[in-house]
Amino acid sequence: MRLLPLAFALAVTMAPTFGGAQELELVTDEQILLKQVMTDKRAVYAANLALSDSESRAFWPIYDEYEAKVKKLDDRFLALVNEFAARYDTLTDTDASAMLEEKMSIEKERMALKQSYTKKFAKVIPAKKALRYAQLETRIEIMLRRDVYGVIPLAH
Amino acid sequence: MNKPLVALAALAACAVAAPALAQSSINDENQVLLSQIQTDKRAIVLRGMQLPDAESAAFIPIYDEYQAEQKKLADRTIAVVNKFAANYDSMTDDAANSILKDWLSLEDARNGLTKKYAKRFGKVLPATKVLRFVQIENKLNTVLATQAVRAVPLAQP
Repeated sequence: MRLLPLAFALAVTMAPTFGGAQELELVTDEQILLKQVMTDKRAVYAANLALSDSESRAFWPIYDEYEAKVKKLDDRFLALVNEFAARYDTLTDTDASAMLEEKMSIEKERMALKQSYTKKFAKVIPAKKALRYAQLETRIEIMLRRDVYGVIPLAH
Repeated sequence: MNKPLVALAALAACAVAAPALAQSSINDENQVLLSQIQTDKRAIVLRGMQLPDAESAAFIPIYDEYQAEQKKLADRTIAVVNKFAANYDSMTDDAANSILKDWLSLEDARNGLTKKYAKRFGKVLPATKVLRFVQIENKLNTVLATQAVRAVPLAQP
């Protein structure tokens, strides 16, 4: 599975130069890597959900709609990480408060999307496959988060 | 592999294996492991926060309340995994739907709990330290969750 190395590459590319004066100019690279991760995720689902032709026709348009919305949240998260990196050495309580607010808002929206779209999937494919999809989605999400959180230093 | 990870992996494995063993002894074992994980996690969080005495005195009671609420969510997680294990070989769509609903509700509750306690910590700690707390929690939770999800097989399509 190519997802792990890609997730790692994304995390490493995102690893900001904390403490340095160098401004991050990685937005293009991040977008390329994010797109690659999303492509690979799609391949993981295609290989593991055993969808029939009719299930595929119903599933993929909803999945693509979901991923497009998730991508917007990922973009917001990347912007947040870059902002954290830029302010790392001189982080104020006001900065930290705004960043916490944004992180919580992203997570709330992510959860709402996941809930809403998992229900949509369960209406067009058998619930067993929707459950399998949710398990895969959770595994991938956790792998990506673990790698990303692993390279972001703690606020001080 | 450090102790909390061993404990959580074992906990997840025990939960999956539950139908094959006496349920009461597995539940007792789960509670011992959960307690060990929470003790270890508390030590890591306190060390990571590096709080001066006054802040520490304000932080710890709230953190312990947070842990108590997390424990309730962990118990619900074990119940969902047991339900999954009990239905694994003959999963119906009704059972899958019910497990999905429980799982999503749990994830929502976890998000809500972090948000609720970040606000409470914000009343007794500077925001930079609350941010640090949320970062430590996120790191620990993803490491622990990695072990847990690996121990639970995928539903059969």
